[in-house]
Amino acid sequence: MAERVFSVRRMPGFTPMAILVFVVLYAPIVILATYSFNAGTSLAIWEGFSLRWYASAWQDAEVQAATFRSFGIAAAAAMVSSILATMAAIATTRTAAFRGQTFVLAMINLPLMAPEIVTAIALLIVFALVKIATGYSGLGYIVLAHTAFCIPFAFLPIRGRLEDMDQALETAAADLYATPWRAFRYVTLPLLWPGILAGFMLAFVTSLDDVVITNLIAGPGQETLPIYMLGQLRRSTTPEINAVSTALLAISVLLVSLSFLLSREKE
Amino acid sequence: MKPMRLSLAAAAATLALVTAPGAPRAEGVLNIFNWGDYTSPELIKKFEAKYDVKVTITDYDSNDTAMAKVKAGGHGFDIVVPTSTVFAVWVKDGLLLESRPDQMENFKHMDPRWVDVPYDPGRHYSVPWQIGTTGVVVNTKVYQGDSATWGVVFDPPPELAGKINVAPEMNDILDSAIMYVGGQPCTDDKAVLKKARDVLLAAKPKWLSMNYASPDSYAKGDIAAGANCNGYTFRARLLNPDVHYAFPKEGFPIWMDNAAILKDAQNVENAKLFLNFIMDPENAAMLSAFARYANGIEGSEKYLPADMRDAPELNPPEGKGVFLHTCPPEVNEIMTRIWTEVQK
Repeated sequence: MAERVFSVRRMPGFTPMAILVFVVLYAPIVILATYSFNAGTSLAIWEGFSLRWYASAWQDAEVQAATFRSFGIAAAAAMVSSILATMAAIATTRTAAFRGQTFVLAMINLPLMAPEIVTAIALLIVFALVKIATGYSGLGYIVLAHTAFCIPFAFLPIRGRLEDMDQALETAAADLYATPWRAFRYVTLPLLWPGILAGFMLAFVTSLDDVVITNLIAGPGQETLPIYMLGQLRRSTTPEINAVSTALLAISVLLVSLSFLLSREKE
Repeated sequence: MKPMRLSLAAAAATLALVTAPGAPRAEGVLNIFNWGDYTSPELIKKFEAKYDVKVTITDYDSNDTAMAKVKAGGHGFDIVVPTSTVFAVWVKDGLLLESRPDQMENFKHMDPRWVDVPYDPGRHYSVPWQIGTTGVVVNTKVYQGDSATWGVVFDPPPELAGKINVAPEMNDILDSAIMYVGGQPCTDDKAVLKKARDVLLAAKPKWLSMNYASPDSYAKGDIAAGANCNGYTFRARLLNPDVHYAFPKEGFPIWMDNAAILKDAQNVENAKLFLNFIMDPENAAMLSAFARYANGIEGSEKYLPADMRDAPELNPPEGKGVFLHTCPPEVNEIMTRIWTEVQK
């Protein structure tokens, strides 16, 4: 009788419903990826298998420039946000509970909840003022904006890891006269490292995929790959855009999977 | 050690990125803010070589995005290319510089048809970039009758019933229906609007679809007629010569993207050079050869690729094209209601 617990899997219609949901979610992506291998120029008529659109995207100077820019911005934003997220995670798990801790946590995770377009418009207005005042118009604004919304994505796996770690090890280090810095450097950090890497990768993907905020704050010659792709949609859509989309999707899935594996890793 | 190397590399990347100037304020720079996939790279190379100016193209995907960024200020762009539908708003909001293209050297090449456009009479602000129309497409294998009328779409002959596609462009289609029943685009005459609505609702059951149908589907004959933009129809005809584009005699929507200089541009002189540059017929032809639409410059035909030179789709007849603009809110509200009904 013990196995007769309630299971959603035994509800009538569970399997067809699950299949329907997966088809609705993934069929468009499968079609997009399939046509990226089309030999013809059509998005609707299959003319045989070919890698020509991957080759043409690879050689497209604009795609190249936008890709390098995207990766640079993502690396910088993920780097800065993982450092800040690590500090925030330590401050919220390795200290005695303090007044307003819930509020601080909510503030850190706010970018997950705030509508992206609101953040985008706010940044557009503030950055415009700063640009006029300082005359600086480099990629720093995009890096700064991406860092801000990447922090919660880096924060969650890092904090998760810190909560799972055995605090006795850190206490033991302190007992053995390790300074707080040495305890952190030789005990906490090595144990925390998979969490930081997982956070870094999530932040990286989040920055790489961003459209709304980047679209509004990018200045002259600062197109990232998603913004470039958006611009291509107005006129002739060739399978090259499918190829670029599929490649971007593959990179995102790879990084998210790596992040997941790392955050599961014990020891 | 590995983590250390990773963080060093990322730190270096951060530093390099943040210090890299996005838009140098030096001499010899021009920042163009334009629709994506719309600017001929060869044309830009030619301009850069001729004037020793470094040009940066940045894409946008809608008039709204472009306007939002420009209005915020500090954007760093010099030239923007708004569509005729919204151009008047850019002027009214004081976003554009009155750069007087009409006094520039190459203005003599401008087709007189496009000088006194309603949104920039006399061309004090802008130079045509590309021009397109929405008209009637028929497959001449299926239908041999008169195609130069909206009747093909709004009161389809029996042989076309169930084979028609209509591009889902609210303003283009509704204003065309209004012109078909004898009204003016954006009319506030309720009787005319009601007539247009009745025509659309009666025609709808005879349509196959309301999509941005690909040139392929017209070329393959899946669709035998439709309301479509000229650029797509031109590409469909290159695939299948039976595809015919007609400019309806009742009047047809016409749009134009226009290059203009921003009021807070940093590189005004270079921007003026560029506006003058694209009025040169040979250069205007380069624009068209890339974007595949007509330009507004006389004498550019002879520089066009052979397949475009005599393309009837790209040469609207004089006088019947109507520049659409956003209708007044009260009219727009009625039109939106009609459109919702049509799309049901």
